[in-house]
Amino acid sequence: MQSKRRHEGYLLIDHRNSPGLPGALGGTGIFESATITCAHCHVVVVLNPDRSRARGYCARCDHYVCDNPGCNAECLPMNQILDELQEEAVRELQRGSIILKE
Amino acid sequence: MAKRSFKVSTWTPVAVGDGANFTDNGYMGLMGGSSTQRLTLIEFYMGGQATASAPTYMVLSRDSVVQATPTALATGQSDAPLDPSTAALAAPAVAFTASTTKPQRSATLGLLNLSFNAFGGIVRWVAAPGEEIGVLGNTASLGEVSLSAYTGGTPGVMGAHIIYEPL
Repeated sequence: MQSKRRHEGYLLIDHRNSPGLPGALGGTGIFESATITCAHCHVVVVLNPDRSRARGYCARCDHYVCDNPGCNAECLPMNQILDELQEEAVRELQRGSIILKE
Repeated sequence: MAKRSFKVSTWTPVAVGDGANFTDNGYMGLMGGSSTQRLTLIEFYMGGQATASAPTYMVLSRDSVVQATPTALATGQSDAPLDPSTAALAAPAVAFTASTTKPQRSATLGLLNLSFNAFGGIVRWVAAPGEEIGVLGNTASLGEVSLSAYTGGTPGVMGAHIIYEPL
């Protein structure tokens, strides 16, 4: 059985040898956190360990999603969008209707 | 394909708002090498080099205006494969810090906030395998991303790298 934690990235902000940022922006010391990449828009979300609301999750594509209402409305993974746009771009190239940039 | 590292040894970001032209050598940009090329962004690292406190509000974002006519990378800047046996790409991704037509950060497609103090601060973000940020083609807004400073603070000198993989 796979864990959802396999989707988690890693963020390190190390201010141990730095004055850090003003209070609300992070303070001093070291900050380590798991992050998730929203499967539907690719925004990276820093996970708040104190969050009590349920985190957005798409059971259809088995990935976390961000709090954007659009990302919670339907399952349209960004990777699928990129796949389809790439296919379309290849077809356009084959038809000769795209001029490649240098 | 193969992973690559776009690194700038030392640079000072220039703070700009969303939808404004970037300043040459004040940002790092990465664009697909062709209309069909796909990139995945795996890791970002920034290490502060400032000699006094320098709150720096770095943002990774897609660009709503993409660059044209990029300037070749200068001394201290490089875009190199991680594996020495990597074959040269027919259409390599475009890593740049300056261009004739300036890119602009999208106001709506920000991806990651990496604020830190460039006086001794370090920031590193790594994606989980399969959860990387995608870039496709070489047109707005999916074809280019930038690492740049948002308005505010006092951006300080730093070194940075982006590890990515052309697919």
